[in-house]
Amino acid sequence: MALFLSMEYRPLWAVALPGLVSILILFSKNRPNLREMWTVAGSVCLFTMVLSMNAAVAVTGPLEVVLFPLFPGVAFHLRADAPGLIFATTASCLWILVSVYSIGYMRVLKEHAQTRFYFCFAVALFSAVGVAFSANLVTLFIFYEILTLSTYPLVAHEESPEAVSAGHKYLAYLLTGGVFFLIAILMTYHWVSSTGFHPQGILLPAAKNIPGWALSLVFVFFLIGCVKAAWMPLHAWLPSAMVAPTPVSALLHAVAVVKAGVFCIFRVVYYVYGLNLMAALHLGMILAVIAAFTILAANLYAVGQDNLKRMLAYSTINQLSFIILGIALLSPMAAKGALLHIPFHGFMKITLFLCAGAAAAIAGKKEISKMKGIGRALPITLGAFMIGAFGMCGAPPLAGFLSKWHIALGAIQSGGLVFLGVILAGSLLDVVYFFPVIREAFFGKIPESQMLLQDAEERVAPLEEKTKWMEKQRPLYLFMVIPLTVTAAFSILLCLFPGIFFIHDLAALAVTDIFGGR
Amino acid sequence: MDPNQPISAILVVLIPLLTAFAVPIIGFWRKNLCFYAACTALAAAFWCALHLLIFVHQRGPVDYFLGGWDPPWGIALRIDSLNALMGVLVTFLFSLTGIASKKSVPLELPLKEAPFYALFLLLFTGLLGMILTGDMFNLYVFLEVSSLTAYALIAMGEPGAMVASFRYLLMGTVGASWYLLGVGYLYIVTGTLNMADLSGLLREMEGSHAVLSGFAFILFGIAIKMALFPLHLWLPDAYAKAPSIVSTTIAPIMTKVMAYVLIRIGFTVFHPEYVVQAAKASGLLVWFGILAILFGGISALSQTDFKRMLAFIIVAEVGYIVGGIGIANPTALKGAIFHIVNDAVMMASLFLVGMMVTHRTGGHGINHFFGIFRKMPLTAIVFTIGALAVIGVPPTCGFFSKWYLLLGGIEAGHWAFVAALLVCTLINVALFFRVFDKGLYLHAKAPQSIPEPRIDALTIQEAPLGMLVVGGILAAGILAIGIGNSFIVKTLILPAVPGGL
Repeated sequence: MALFLSMEYRPLWAVALPGLVSILILFSKNRPNLREMWTVAGSVCLFTMVLSMNAAVAVTGPLEVVLFPLFPGVAFHLRADAPGLIFATTASCLWILVSVYSIGYMRVLKEHAQTRFYFCFAVALFSAVGVAFSANLVTLFIFYEILTLSTYPLVAHEESPEAVSAGHKYLAYLLTGGVFFLIAILMTYHWVSSTGFHPQGILLPAAKNIPGWALSLVFVFFLIGCVKAAWMPLHAWLPSAMVAPTPVSALLHAVAVVKAGVFCIFRVVYYVYGLNLMAALHLGMILAVIAAFTILAANLYAVGQDNLKRMLAYSTINQLSFIILGIALLSPMAAKGALLHIPFHGFMKITLFLCAGAAAAIAGKKEISKMKGIGRALPITLGAFMIGAFGMCGAPPLAGFLSKWHIALGAIQSGGLVFLGVILAGSLLDVVYFFPVIREAFFGKIPESQMLLQDAEERVAPLEEKTKWMEKQRPLYLFMVIPLTVTAAFSILLCLFPGIFFIHDLAALAVTDIFGGR
Repeated sequence: MDPNQPISAILVVLIPLLTAFAVPIIGFWRKNLCFYAACTALAAAFWCALHLLIFVHQRGPVDYFLGGWDPPWGIALRIDSLNALMGVLVTFLFSLTGIASKKSVPLELPLKEAPFYALFLLLFTGLLGMILTGDMFNLYVFLEVSSLTAYALIAMGEPGAMVASFRYLLMGTVGASWYLLGVGYLYIVTGTLNMADLSGLLREMEGSHAVLSGFAFILFGIAIKMALFPLHLWLPDAYAKAPSIVSTTIAPIMTKVMAYVLIRIGFTVFHPEYVVQAAKASGLLVWFGILAILFGGISALSQTDFKRMLAFIIVAEVGYIVGGIGIANPTALKGAIFHIVNDAVMMASLFLVGMMVTHRTGGHGINHFFGIFRKMPLTAIVFTIGALAVIGVPPTCGFFSKWYLLLGGIEAGHWAFVAALLVCTLINVALFFRVFDKGLYLHAKAPQSIPEPRIDALTIQEAPLGMLVVGGILAAGILAIGIGNSFIVKTLILPAVPGGL
């Protein structure tokens, strides 16, 4: 018990806890209530654990746990430092809400293979927290690959041919990326005999003896390895992964998996290559161009989407590249903005996904064109959706404003005014595809044909002009409505009080580590 | 009793040999006792091998002279860190498959228990002899012992096994003859068959054409026996059509033992410098390794039978090991030796899964894996771990040996080998996820060739306990080797890497 409580072992426990939960889930597969209890209890414990570390790390600096050696000079090494904790806080806090949500969602839709679903979900969280707390590239890679594999059954959960082929696409992209990641790690190890993260980078001492093109090539390999960040043109897996159940799309494909990719880019840029090497090789510029392209292109894709979840996927791609842009600008403000955008975007985007899921589960609507007037049937859901959508555009007083503000400041700071233009244009495009959805949902007239039963599925209720308030019809719906209300509330609170969960302090701490006193 | 001549060195070969002759007699009396006799012998041999490994690590290499005859007149066993490790590996896996055979042999080879266990033990003796011997000709003898028993065991299998076995016999005999011819050349030149002797004498005759031809013949013979592309043609049929228990035994081990022989002859009998520079054999080996990796992987993709798919994966894995040996720097060789160990364990686990599925569903096509995650959850876990190890997902052991192989390739600047390894990793993903999908996704289209089962009618029908225990041990071993890889590499693999590189 003393071991459990002592602060220095908490990174280990934080990683182990979801793993433990996954095993408990497997053993209680015949008792659904107990099984879901494990998920919720595990997520609450994990979040408390991470929060307690936030407080300590913000004051005393990183916590380290070295477990066992892997290779000469490389150990299985966990370190809870500021960027890692920001990622872990995001993932663990949202896990609580999404596990409550998924109880409602999975039961309303009477989904099959729920044990597999909750098991894989817990394993995915295990590896996401592992990614956050890895202290070297090899440890990171281990968790990174487990994350890929554990989410595959979730993507293909529906087991329809479409879902299975989406799963294959998912694996093809992510594991091929993993191979590139591996070769990049091997080259790093070959050059410097170490893969540990350091705020000033580790490759600089070796850079004298290595040709610049080799360093750049390996950087590109790293980038391809971070295909989880869904930068264009390697983004195609993400929209097709949207066939997964909504809780999966929400937590994994808006937060845990994709943020793991972005987080890896952050680690590689600042903790492996380091600020000076990045600047000397002009790698930041390459990255920024990719990000800028993705921001604009993803938004253009999103404009034409009719399936709400696919549209959200393109919006995710776009927002992820905001983070990548923040990283690539190599200025303190932008880096801070990137770190802040990880949790902020997480909260906002998850709100949107949860709303999309609730609309599908309660009213049976997945396409935007069929959602006319749905706001009258699901006022809370669509209200939360509106908050999330405003956040995406970066309107105050929502969290998105704060992080985009920082990134924009960073663009000015680093002199890249073109990128400032991209940020503004990107945010404007968000408006173009989000606002019609809201307008139609609240003010759209329900067409005559829509009043009849459209889909063959029985659970799809026809919308009527005088629609009843559907959200209060069944107690199970509350499992969905409450989490999305909470995330929407947080999207506002995080802007007004960015100090919640120490996120702001941690981001500032990380930036000081990397950039020194600048 | 000479303290430097541990009795376990000879017991490890002698116990299975004598038991092999006793088993048919026991079988006349009580058929079911054969299993227990064989398992006792295997366990005893495993114990001796462990003792030998510890002995070698404490006191250095052992030279055991049979009958007290000094070489070059008598036969010597020479045991160093490398073959002590191989001995433990082989005895360990044989003991496990021995345990797993209990339910499988009466089902698949009814009324043949006694001949099966006799041949099984003889095969074991042959393999151990090859590993432990310090004599070139003695190695040939044991090679023939193991091969002949393997032909017989394979021929017991399903329809078509006879032809496959005959093909293996032809190719195998040619290989063994090449090996013998090479040994003959060396004997003519040096007048000795003892490996240590040969190694000293050969150092002075490196320019000789006779030595070069001898070396080439031996290499060719070994290449056939270890199924190095393009000499692998006998392997897929033989391993796929053999009885499950036989393929579970032979497939993981036979090629690995030949890889050991390659290391032994390439780096102990001949001087590494000779192999790398004068004979230029190592560069050639890497390229054949690369071809084997690519060919094995791609051919595996087109298989619809699980065991045949695994057989082609073995062809690719042989490519990994040969490539690592050919690169011939300490890191790559460390990777190759480590991969011999890992590959044996993971292939054993996968063939065992094939055996369990055959036991319950009556076949080993990929379609027979339909719904195994529901029907045979524990088997499915073993399969998952084994498959992830072959793909090379950390923290399973496959990742770590691949790491050393890749790092060795990078150090040597052999990018083609690195690329081939990585491509094959992706191919393995495609291979195994095909099977995963069959086992996991029940609502997807059911396979045509077996009558469509009702999904809700899938009840748990787990494999027999003995097989499950063995599967559990192997799966745990895969994870344990992976997690403890640093310790294992430092204490077991590093001392086994031949010097002089």
